[in-house]
Parts: sequence; C-alpha cells; structure tokens
Amino acid sequence: MMNKKVLLMFFLPGALFMLLFLVVPIFQMIINSFFTYELGGVHEFVGFANYQRLFTSKAFLKPLINTAIYVAVAVSAELVLGMILALLFNNPFPGNTIIRSFLLTPLMIAPIVAGLTWKLILNTQYGILNSLLVKIGLISNVNDIMWLADPKIALYSCCIADIWLTTPFMMLMLLAGLKGLDKNVLEAASIDGANAFQKFFQIKLPGILPVLLTAVSIRVVDAARTFDIVWVLTQGGPQNSSELLSITIYRTLVRYNEVGYASAIAIVFILLLLIFALIFMRDMWKPKRRNA
Amino acid sequence: MLKFGKNNIRIGRIAVIAVMLFFIVLFLFPYLFLGLSSFKPSYEVISIPPTFFPKKLSIENYQEMKNYINIGKSIFNSVVAAFGSTFIAVLLGSLSAFALVRSRTKLSAALIAIVFFLKMIPLAAIAVPIYRIITYLGLYDTRIALVLALSATNMPLVIWIMIGFFQSVPVSLDEAACVDGATPIVTFFRVILPVSMSGIATAAIFTLFLAWNDFLLSLMLTSTEAKTFTVSLSEFLGSYQINLGPMTAASFLFSFPVIIMAIFLQKYIVQGLTAGAVKE
Repeated sequence: MMNKKVLLMFFLPGALFMLLFLVVPIFQMIINSFFTYELGGVHEFVGFANYQRLFTSKAFLKPLINTAIYVAVAVSAELVLGMILALLFNNPFPGNTIIRSFLLTPLMIAPIVAGLTWKLILNTQYGILNSLLVKIGLISNVNDIMWLADPKIALYSCCIADIWLTTPFMMLMLLAGLKGLDKNVLEAASIDGANAFQKFFQIKLPGILPVLLTAVSIRVVDAARTFDIVWVLTQGGPQNSSELLSITIYRTLVRYNEVGYASAIAIVFILLLLIFALIFMRDMWKPKRRNA
Repeated sequence: MLKFGKNNIRIGRIAVIAVMLFFIVLFLFPYLFLGLSSFKPSYEVISIPPTFFPKKLSIENYQEMKNYINIGKSIFNSVVAAFGSTFIAVLLGSLSAFALVRSRTKLSAALIAIVFFLKMIPLAAIAVPIYRIITYLGLYDTRIALVLALSATNMPLVIWIMIGFFQSVPVSLDEAACVDGATPIVTFFRVILPVSMSGIATAAIFTLFLAWNDFLLSLMLTSTEAKTFTVSLSEFLGSYQINLGPMTAASFLFSFPVIIMAIFLQKYIVQGLTAGAVKE
C-alpha cells in the first residue's frame, strides 16, 4: 500500500504544470477583469465596470448569441447524422469495418486544415460546391449563394465544417452505446412483432440515452470553444456575423489590447460553461467505476 | 414479419448500402477534393468553373510551397512540440492520475472535479495569460515554450483517460509489489504501467494528435523561430488567391500522414474519445 506522502509525490509534478499554465492564468484573468489597462502599463482598478460594460454591450451579446446558434445548429446536426450512421453501422454488412475506418478520417484532421479545405469548397467564384449546385440546377448563378461572404449565412457555413469534422465522434459514441444494449431484449421485441421504429424509440433510444447525453454535453462544450475553424473561414466576419466568443476574446486582447475587458468576457464565458457542466454533466464528475 | 421474407431483407440491405455510399461520398469528398487539388497545376486550383479531378497532374504546388513557408523548420517544430509535450503530459499525467485513483479521500475527489473543470477551459480565454507567463520565463518563440504549454493544456485529458484505466488495476497488485520490497516508483513503472499499456497508448496517441493539430497556442507563443506548421498554414490566408495552390499542397502534406496513422491506430482513438462516457 502506498502512503499519502508517496501519492502526493506522484501527484505534484503534473499538478505543478497545470497550476502554472491553467490555474494561474485563470486567477490572473479574474484579477485583470477588475482593472482597465492602458498602453504603457498603467492600470486602474475599476470594480465591476468591465462586467457592466459587457452585459450592456452588443459587442458581447452578439457573439454570445452567435455561439449559442453555432452550438445548437452544429451539435443537433451532428447528433442526427451521427445517429443515422450509428444505426447503420450497428448492422453487420460486408465491409462494415473498412467503411467505418474511412468515415472516421475527418476525426483527426486539424481543425485548421478542415477550415482551409472548406474555404476552398465554399468559395463563391471558384468553389466546387456552388459549381455543383449550378450543375444540378439548384441555383442559376454561382453568385446566388455567398457562403462565407453573406452575413446572413456565414455563421451556418462555418457550422458545415464543424459538422463534417465531428459527426464521426458522435457516431462512435452512439455506436458504442448501441453495442452495449441487451441483444435479448431487442430479439424479444422482434419476436413480439415490433417494427424498426418501435424498436428505436422504445428500446434503443432510452437504452443509449445516458451515452447520448454525455456525447452531446462533450460536444456542446467543445463547439462553444471553437476557434480555429471559424478563424480560418471568416475570422468572425463579415460584419461580425460569424464571430464566436472565443474570437471576440482573442480579438479584444490581441487587436485592441483591452486586457481587462477581454478577461471579463473570458470569465463570464468560463462561468457559463461551468454552469452548463454542473447541470448536464453531473454524472461525469466522478468517472464511472469500471468493473474489472 | 414472416410474410415479407427474404425479399424484404434484401431490399433493406440495398437501402442500407445506398445510404452508406451516400455518406461515404459526403464525408470523403472534402478531403479528397483537397488532395486532388494539391496535384493540380496552380492555376487550375482557382479555375472557373472549378474541376474535381485534375485535368493535368502536376507537382507544381509542392515545389512552390517552399517559397511561402519554411517547411523543414515548421515540421521540425511541430514534431518537437507534439512529441515533447506528449512525453511529459503522459508521464506526469499518468503519475497524477494514479495518485488520484489510489488516495480515496475527499480531497482527491475534489481534485478530480477540478481536473475535469480544467479540461473544458476554452484555450482562447487563457492563451494570453499563458503568453505572459512564457514571456516572463524568457521562453517566447522557443520550442520549449510550446512543449511546456501543450503538456499542461493536454494533461487534464491524460489524467481523465488514465483514471479510467487505473481504476481497473487491482490494489492487490501494488500491495504485492510493496511486500516484495519494491519502491513505489519502481512499482509504478514495473508493475502498474505494464498492465495499463492500452490506456497509456490511448492517452499518448490522443495528446499527440491534439498537440500536432494545435493552432492557437503556437500562434500566441511563437513568431519566427519556433513557429509550427499550423501557424505557417494560416499564413496562406492573408495572401492573395494565387497562393491557394501551394496552400492545398501544404495542408495535404501536413494532414495525410496523420490520417494514415489514425486509420491504423483507430482502436486507441475510439477508446480515448469514449473515455469516461462508455463502459468498455
């Protein structure tokens, strides 16, 4: 049996890393959020002024809403597509494993490469998507849909890249859930004459609900943090129409050098994620005991 | 059910295969398009109307890309950052995870919750404070800075994955080793790690991919000397259309080896993704 001193020695080196590069930055941000910073290193304590400014500013509310839309659209599309794929792959058919391997390829592609790829595909003039749409007659001119240049749809276009990149994750999680279902129950239902829809809604869906909720929670947090994809596709434009909170924070800091205000945005953002996690991911706080 | 018989099953099969084919095309198309574009002559990448298959095969884009980015150096930086940080994150992360699993106190439960919280911090939020710390340490634009920062940001994930694996290692195993007079550190490396290799592989592969694909930290912490490939790639963006050809070549070169690796190491990737969510 290892005593407490030994365990502490085991724990400390890794903890120091996280303390220095994760915990200290968070505390630094909390402190910064109560100050305004000006060029030349002058800073002034302003209390909650940064927070006040944030909640009354369109420059915060707009990206907050954008982030919510981005998360809702991307994650629900990933869930539906992932579910269809998981149900399909749950049937044995020739080539199952090989096809699944191919479908997993987007999974490990760098988000920045995914962004660049879709930037090429979604381009109005020489993008292949519009050219295809013209060919099959859905639009008459390539200029009819400006995926990344039209403020009305730029945000949704960014979702496309995200959906492509992470639907395989959703599929894997749901598939793992489906494989864990009790086969006898499903067989009994078949014998009783249940059709595919009944089996899905009455047995499969309730059975994989815990896995589904976990997968959705993980994706919500990840999608909310998205930076690379949107940065590459639109940099948050046009007219901030696709600006997500992570881009607002980065821009406020790096372009406008407003450390205090950016820290306040970051703190509120982290708090929102934390509240979400506390509500929806309670079961994940303590990793499940695995019986070995 | 019986009255439909075999025909019904056959139609079902065909439908499944058709839907499957549709999805395969949908999911493979973007990357395939990128790959094929990289082998077009530079002008064909931005031709109007665009082509899917190259009209003329060419390696012009691959020859051209070295005029825009320092390939050798940025790949070297990416390799050092990815492997260096993975080594540290997995080594220290698994030690920490083991300590958290074995000490069954309220404090360790709280620490596990904190690690989970750290795992979901948006990088964009803490990138600047990290930048300040790195500058303070005099490490700006060094590979060491990337290794340190990436080790730290990926460590919560390693701990998360390893906690799951260590929980299934029976305590009697370390007790037996202790009785034989092995020191704790020897016990960990000789007894515990060998039975957790699958978990170590999962954590290592996962952090390796994450570090290799990282963009934001490298963007913040490096400029010319330690710049990684992802940041080099992003620099194609600021430039004119004419560079899109070399950009496709660089993107493909950067991601193709990873995809091949990912296909072979799939088992571990699946384990890593579903860690903590699905009971194996």
